[in-house]
Amino acid sequence: MEYIPLNFPFLAAALLVGVSFYIIIFKKNLIKLIMGIAMLAAGVNLFLVSLGYRAGGTAPIYTDVPEGPMVLSVPQALTLTSIVINVAVLALMLTMVIHIYRHTGSLDSEKSRKMKG
Amino acid sequence: MDTLITHSSILIIAIPLVTAFLIPLVGMTSKKARNALVIVSLAFVAFLVFALAKDIAINGIHIYTLGATSPDLTTPTGFMAPVRIILEVDGMSILMGIIWSIVSLAAAIFSFSHIASETGQNRFYTLLLLMVTGGFGMMFTGDLFNLFVFLEIASISGAALIAFRTKFADTQEGGFKYIVVSAIASLMVLFAIGLLYAQYNSLNIGALAQVIQYTTPDKIALALLLIAFTMKAGMVPLHLWFPDAYSVAPASITGMLVITSHACMYAAFRVCFTLYGGMLGTSVVGWILIIFGLLSMFVGVTMAVFQKDVMRFMSYHAISQLGYMWVGVGVGLAVLGNPALLATYGRDAISGGIFHILNHAMYKPLLFFTGGALFYCTGTRDLTKMGGLAHKMKWTTILYIIGTLSISGIPPLNGFSSKILIYESVYQFHPILTITGIIVSILTLASFTKAFHSAFMGAELPEYKEVKEVPRSMIIAMVILAAGIIFITLFPALIVNWIINPAADALINQGAYINAVTGATP
Amino acid sequence: MTLILESGYAFWNPIILIIAFAVVMVVVYFFRRRGQKKYKKDTAQTQIFLCGEEVPEAGQRHIRVGNIYWGFFETLKEYYNQVLRPHTGIINDYVLWFVAVTAISAIILLIAG
Repeated sequence: MEYIPLNFPFLAAALLVGVSFYIIIFKKNLIKLIMGIAMLAAGVNLFLVSLGYRAGGTAPIYTDVPEGPMVLSVPQALTLTSIVINVAVLALMLTMVIHIYRHTGSLDSEKSRKMKG
Repeated sequence: MDTLITHSSILIIAIPLVTAFLIPLVGMTSKKARNALVIVSLAFVAFLVFALAKDIAINGIHIYTLGATSPDLTTPTGFMAPVRIILEVDGMSILMGIIWSIVSLAAAIFSFSHIASETGQNRFYTLLLLMVTGGFGMMFTGDLFNLFVFLEIASISGAALIAFRTKFADTQEGGFKYIVVSAIASLMVLFAIGLLYAQYNSLNIGALAQVIQYTTPDKIALALLLIAFTMKAGMVPLHLWFPDAYSVAPASITGMLVITSHACMYAAFRVCFTLYGGMLGTSVVGWILIIFGLLSMFVGVTMAVFQKDVMRFMSYHAISQLGYMWVGVGVGLAVLGNPALLATYGRDAISGGIFHILNHAMYKPLLFFTGGALFYCTGTRDLTKMGGLAHKMKWTTILYIIGTLSISGIPPLNGFSSKILIYESVYQFHPILTITGIIVSILTLASFTKAFHSAFMGAELPEYKEVKEVPRSMIIAMVILAAGIIFITLFPALIVNWIINPAADALINQGAYINAVTGATP
Repeated sequence: MTLILESGYAFWNPIILIIAFAVVMVVVYFFRRRGQKKYKKDTAQTQIFLCGEEVPEAGQRHIRVGNIYWGFFETLKEYYNQVLRPHTGIINDYVLWFVAVTAISAIILLIAG
């Protein structure tokens, strides 16, 4: 049985975080910015959940458990909480973007701004 | 009563949470019952906070283990490490709790008239109480992941409250900026928590502090935690979102948001002093805080002089005042590894910084409330359109003067008593810190005089002939905070000895915090 | 004494200043009482006197916020041009600042800390 290299998930998480920061900083469209934040959350969640991974481990459910290692359950609990929180954050952001579009008629972060200085 | 105090720390978090979801139900029947419910629950929470403060002053750190058979059973039978969620309340946490309970009560009272013309008020109070929950959770928790969760609760409800008045375009923009910045900062906090958990297999602050090694990932985690929390607290050069979000929120919410900034600042102190503590042998982190604090003081106040929007102008002053706390506590952190210097001036610097948190938490919400009162009466935040309002709004004028004198550090008001503590102690670290502090103080007075002149002084303007004094509940809320200012003014030494010094010692004494979790196995 | 705050070299007692303030208020009240009481109401005696010129309307008379501290801003023009440059109001820039400051402080901590 072949396993993926153990560092691979961390590299993927780092890539996700890097790409999402690129999107958040350089894309002026507010919807794209929200997608960047969703990706950032996904990257952090992937990092968390891969912390608990053990090669060849089984799910951490204690009934009828086979022999061998078990993956750690705490990071999974953390990830689940984090996913739930991010759903709320993204929903709230999208609501505000709808209102911004209604008021200013623009989704560009530079054209829709009213406050500076 | 004993049982109540034993369970008080969780009750303080749970009561606003439960009440928050009762509000829409009660609000359907009657408006008065809903307002009474908000006041009663917040007043009961404030009572519990004060009872807990008394208990902590007598018995030391308060521990509450969730889900255990007995609240002080931190390590479950058969385990070597604390795996349960633990609430840990020490001198510093309870000081923040006292501030939060007073300000949230005042803000709720202020809201009754201030948002009376808005729709969806039931949801407003639900969000307000959720924000109270998030703030208390951040202050009382002893668990890093829990800190993240409560940080998010406070941010989400705060952002929704900033954008509550959807009829204005700028509120949506401010709320959006706030939620984006909070989401990124809290995700970075979560990333840092992951880095720490990967190495030490623990989430409890006390248990982590015991085993932390200060390896390379730890340093990265420290940078992420520190900068994320300082960004949420609004430190220059990460302050750019701060005036945008704070100036557009309803004034009562702005007053509360200031305290969430302080809660993030508290989290940054908790990370530096308690989590890393003795590991920070060199003074690099202290210097980072001092330099950014000096920048905050100076840039904040010079930008404030420039502003023409009354709430925006006060937001920049909040940034500038936060700089004093960063400098005071940063000096303490820089000399943490040197017991002789710590005893000479380090502890006084930390005390001064913390005392300034308390003072700022009294006068800044008061000033924001007067700004909200101006908005309520004139319908604008633009200072160029105001003038001569002192003829009509006598109470607001007097309360504004109290707040102004206090924030500018004019003796004998309370702003001076904390500033002198900071000046005297940081002078021995480096004189330039004190000089900057005094210049900033002068500029603060200058800019508040400017705003006072343009809003309140001068002849009665024809467009404000019909303006009346603000409703009574708004005045009551402002008077509560002004009474706090007067009390601290009259008894500074009492406050310092009873509340501030225990809080400073709680930050310095890392061992007591660790022992409370790991040593107290029954 | 619980009323005196001591810190290093200094001490601080608000009561002394409050007493001084009260004394000043008494003096002010004394001077105010000596003022002329027998003026005629609703005549030219209560009008504003501006060298015989016509007094402008209330709205014109009030010095608005934009005109206050003009010299201060004129002197510090260069400083304000520089300090206003990062205050763009664009959310993308805010995140850029966050990433930059985090990276710099992480590097500082890795090298020196």
